[in-house]
Amino acid sequence: MLMKCGEVRKFVRLYLDSELDAKQSFEVEQHLESCAECAGLFQAEKKFDERLGRFLRHGQLTRPFWKKIEALIAPRPFAKVKILWPLALAASLVIAAGTVLVARSRPLDLANAVEECHSAYVHQITTPEFSGAVPTKIAQQFGGRLDTAAFDYRPSEPGFTSSGARLCHVGGVPVALILGHCAETPVSLIVFRKSELDHFPQTKRKLESGDPIACSRSGRYQFAARFIDDHVVCIVGDRPRPVLEDLLKTLRRADG
Amino acid sequence: MDREEQRDRFLSLLRPIERDLENYSRRMVFDRRDCEDALQNAVLRAFRAFDRYHDDASFRAWMFKILTNEIFAANRKRGRIAEFEIAIEPEEIEEFAGLDFTADAPISWETLSDALDEELLVALQSLNDSERAVLLMRAIGELRYREISECLGVPLGSVMGNLSRARQKMRDAILRARRRSCL
Ligand SMILES: [Zn+2]
Repeated sequence: MLMKCGEVRKFVRLYLDSELDAKQSFEVEQHLESCAECAGLFQAEKKFDERLGRFLRHGQLTRPFWKKIEALIAPRPFAKVKILWPLALAASLVIAAGTVLVARSRPLDLANAVEECHSAYVHQITTPEFSGAVPTKIAQQFGGRLDTAAFDYRPSEPGFTSSGARLCHVGGVPVALILGHCAETPVSLIVFRKSELDHFPQTKRKLESGDPIACSRSGRYQFAARFIDDHVVCIVGDRPRPVLEDLLKTLRRADG
Repeated sequence: MDREEQRDRFLSLLRPIERDLENYSRRMVFDRRDCEDALQNAVLRAFRAFDRYHDDASFRAWMFKILTNEIFAANRKRGRIAEFEIAIEPEEIEEFAGLDFTADAPISWETLSDALDEELLVALQSLNDSERAVLLMRAIGELRYREISECLGVPLGSVMGNLSRARQKMRDAILRARRRSCL
């Protein structure tokens, strides 16, 4: 049963603010596909939103100011204490060893960034927007920084099932978010352009140093990422790391 | 997690949203001189409370909440008080979420999307603190209605009422400015 114009227009704000559930959104979209007048109104409203958003978010970051703030929460350097040099040397070796251990257990920047995204999915705050081909309306939001091919990747492993996908932003980078399950556990597949990897320098270094798969852990979720074609694909979920790696290794691009 | 790990994790969550926080603060403070102080106080406060931050909550929403409290405190010192007096009842939600097509706008909706920065700036100044907070949390913070309601400690209906009023006022202000410039 299709919605009528009057009904659809009541939902314009909730729809544009992504506050409708998947079923309601779908109904609105169905109507918009067949009604040019409503589609035009929604488009105009959306354009004004975008204009307002650009204006409000326009200011540049004041770098020196943030450096200062970040320095305030930095731990104090351990200087000031006079110690004999052999002791100092021994101490610095211990510290160096400690740093290596800490560095190993620290989550990768990309793992941290996608954690929030996955967590929203686990808690059903994020739901799929579509399945199958990317709707034109969504592709129009890419801003030239993403492509529909990013939405085509799926692990060919039969253990993975997908319930749909949506456009999402991770640290300001537009990404394809493919929502799935593996052994009844929510698993997110996040795909974006290789060229956006500058936003995640740690992960970039790791993948470019020749590691075929970069792994990490952030919060309660395991994380693994790899390059495929000109995309970065990561997978996040509360599953053992080897399981996620296997899913990544069997990645295929659906035709069409 | 030791302190250094905690700090790195905090920074890795903070850095991607620094620009949004700064833009939000700049547009929210009543007196420009309060902008940096509010940001600094908010970051330090958040870092001190970071062990109480739960992994499954949105860091962005959590940070916006702390920053908003700092900004409201700074604005209060300058005699500005945010009051969330416009609230809508659940049965009115549809009415507030739709478009007001009866407004006799002399120009089409379409043309509002090329509003000039100056027009938008004037329009933004027509909002009160509560309308502005809700609009900026949505437009800059990209927070969900529910997150905004938690941030501000006001009911969901109040968030929607203020947001709807804010957007309407922005439009009206732009249209008024254009009508004036046509005379
Ligand atoms: Zn229609």
